Amino acid sequence: MNERNDNKAFFSRCMNEHMASLYSVAMRLTRNSANAEDLVADTATRAWCALDSLEDRARFRPWVFRILHNGYISDYRKQSVRPDETLYDELAYDDSEIAYLLIQQPDEFLSWWANPEREVANKLLGEDLLAAIEDLPEAFRVVVVLINIEGLSYDEAAEVLGVSPGTIRSRMNRGRTLLQKALWQHAQDAGFPR
Amino acid sequence: MTHEHDKRDNLDNDCLEAFDHLYAYLNGELKDQSKVAMIEHHLQHCRSCFSRAEFEREINQRLKKTDTQSPPSSLSERMKKLIDNF
Repeated sequence: MNERNDNKAFFSRCMNEHMASLYSVAMRLTRNSANAEDLVADTATRAWCALDSLEDRARFRPWVFRILHNGYISDYRKQSVRPDETLYDELAYDDSEIAYLLIQQPDEFLSWWANPEREVANKLLGEDLLAAIEDLPEAFRVVVVLINIEGLSYDEAAEVLGVSPGTIRSRMNRGRTLLQKALWQHAQDAGFPR
Repeated sequence: MTHEHDKRDNLDNDCLEAFDHLYAYLNGELKDQSKVAMIEHHLQHCRSCFSRAEFEREINQRLKKTDTQSPPSSLSERMKKLIDNF
């Protein structure tokens, strides 16, 4: 009974600590607040049932994020895909192609970025940036969210997604490349650089 | 197409190699010190890559400061009841 109470106290403490992050990631995956809430609740239930499988309590965070991501894949993903969204074919580009696309980005954008109008820069790196993340293919969006927003390491993100750190690195490269291209398009649509 | 292939052939291999590791470098995930040194050397000598790295660095800073979407109070109450009943 004492062990159960101890486990429950530990679990409750950890879930409270990570609830905001779990909900935030669930929202970015499901794009729906009701589903995000259900996903977090389902994650809590699954995590409690699987608590014995957590070998190192210091690694609760990547462990519970993995449960959340697996739950999303099995129960919520179909509802989250937009009608015009197709699965990004990761094999469509290799790393040298992605590098090529980025290198082709006009120097004029980078030159303009060295001294942009502050209001334009704030919008580009504010609402435009978040909108561009929402539009990323899921495989890349989740990596950018886990690492650049939620602060997980590459190893932790690899553990969450069940892939190798090399795959994380590749998806980060591709996701951030697409992000930069999207921001360049936003700037052009707004008429910059003039 | 020929023009694009010509352009691709002329791409600086140093830029391509630096780009391959840039995000890991900016995210503090590049463990190989020889690669860190390679990138830092390249950024000191390539204006385009330096500008691109600065842009990406600023994106990193903005993303780090992104507000975590606060869970609704209904979720907090739901979670408390759930855990109490475990």
